[in-house]
Amino acid sequence: MQRPSASSWAAVAVAWLLVAIPLGWGIYKTLQTAVKLFR
Amino acid sequence: MSSGLLSRERIIAGPGFNRWLVPPAALAIHLSIGMAYGFSVFWLPLSRAIGITTAASGDWKISTLGWMFTLFFVFLGSSAALFGRWVEREGPRTAGVVAAFCWGGGFLISALGVHLHQILLLWIGSGVIGGCGLGLGYISPVSTLIKWFPDRRGMATGMAIMGFGGGAMIGSPLANLLMNHFKTPTSVGVQETFVAMGAIYFVAMLAGAFGYRLPAPGWQPAGWTPPVPQHTAMITTRQVHVNQAIRTPQFWLLWVVLWMNVSAGIGVIGMASPMLQEVFGGKLIGVAGALRDLTEDQRTQVATIGAGFAALLSLFNIGGRIFWASLSDYLGRKRTYVIFFALGFVLYCSAPTAGRAGVIPLFVAVFCIILTMYGGGFATIPAYLADMFGTVHVGAIHGRLLTAWSAAGILGPILVNYIREFQIDRGVPAAQAYNTTMYVLAGLLVIGFIANARVRPVAERYFMNDAQLAQELAGKR
Repeated sequence: MQRPSASSWAAVAVAWLLVAIPLGWGIYKTLQTAVKLFR
Repeated sequence: MSSGLLSRERIIAGPGFNRWLVPPAALAIHLSIGMAYGFSVFWLPLSRAIGITTAASGDWKISTLGWMFTLFFVFLGSSAALFGRWVEREGPRTAGVVAAFCWGGGFLISALGVHLHQILLLWIGSGVIGGCGLGLGYISPVSTLIKWFPDRRGMATGMAIMGFGGGAMIGSPLANLLMNHFKTPTSVGVQETFVAMGAIYFVAMLAGAFGYRLPAPGWQPAGWTPPVPQHTAMITTRQVHVNQAIRTPQFWLLWVVLWMNVSAGIGVIGMASPMLQEVFGGKLIGVAGALRDLTEDQRTQVATIGAGFAALLSLFNIGGRIFWASLSDYLGRKRTYVIFFALGFVLYCSAPTAGRAGVIPLFVAVFCIILTMYGGGFATIPAYLADMFGTVHVGAIHGRLLTAWSAAGILGPILVNYIREFQIDRGVPAAQAYNTTMYVLAGLLVIGFIANARVRPVAERYFMNDAQLAQELAGKR
């Protein structure tokens, strides 16, 4: 089976960034709430 | 059969396509529909939609609004069961686009409902139509991911289903930001927020749907060797038709497995934060006394800590989805569920002891691990189904299995609420009323353990023969 082209990995990085940025923001906001448990 | 842009033929990937582009497409859809878990952020503002600062005559009660949750999960399960076969036939892109219209459109109908102050429009818009979008969106990437990642089925579906758990983490703070932005002296800002979020989710879900690609027939990852078929293996290389699958004992055993795991988990999610507050009371803020003895200000501080606990649990819920589902690729699906039920039983039973001992970190850790297994149960089940029934109909079979989720949405809260009320009516102190509930939920895990233990490879007579399989695959082209 043909391996993915090198340039396709750039598209993979962009696609993952597009979902990781909002998810990361959501996790950060949740962590802000969660740390109240440890104060 | 759909044609043009949405058709199955249109999305067959060419040589050299990178399979790692598919999980973010699935995540875009699951992160959008996962906002269903975060809808409670709208309850308080909607409960004073007329009075604005306080609830006025004619304003909706929070209990009335809460019906939306029931509708979400009933319609998620039923639409996944009803349309699973259609999703398999039409392909993931069509399903993703329809899901985007249902979920995004549901928000718009709800906005109209807020504008006209008609609760029915909210129930139908977000609850029924949006609920159908949840079901279609949830199952749309499952079989596609399993086909792209035959070597790591658990990890692949775990990534997508992690998104469903994480959707509320983005959606809830986003909704708060938007409501604060849109609110005026004459509006709580929910109507405009619904329109904005409907548009955002519609675009995100369309992007996800158009990112879906199907592997060409016979495709397999470079360098991967399929396992040699064995009659006794728990991973089949053959195919069971969805209509046959529901006649197998394996389907119903896995239905019970999911039902019990989710019922127990839903029960725990509902009571974890109030349990922490009532069991530890003033100890959470460094003062002596039970929760009922605290001042209003101290109770507010305790409630804030309770909210922090709930947030921490949601992080472990989504972390568990990717962790356990990935681990199941190495441990095997059956063994992974053995861990969920056996370790879960020990942890559910030990939570009251941790509470009595007054050890807050131990109590928190117990619940965090429990929540990883709740999420892990959701994320691992599609791979379990693919192992048992093959990959051709796994999306449709998964859709039918999700009715167990709807059933759990009824059983879990009923058990927790009624057991607690029953005990409090008989004079059991509030802080201790949770203990029996935890033991009853642990009992559900025993049922799940037995069901999982009875899962064996599917009998020969249920598999499609070569002619049936060829006909089935031709029908999909």
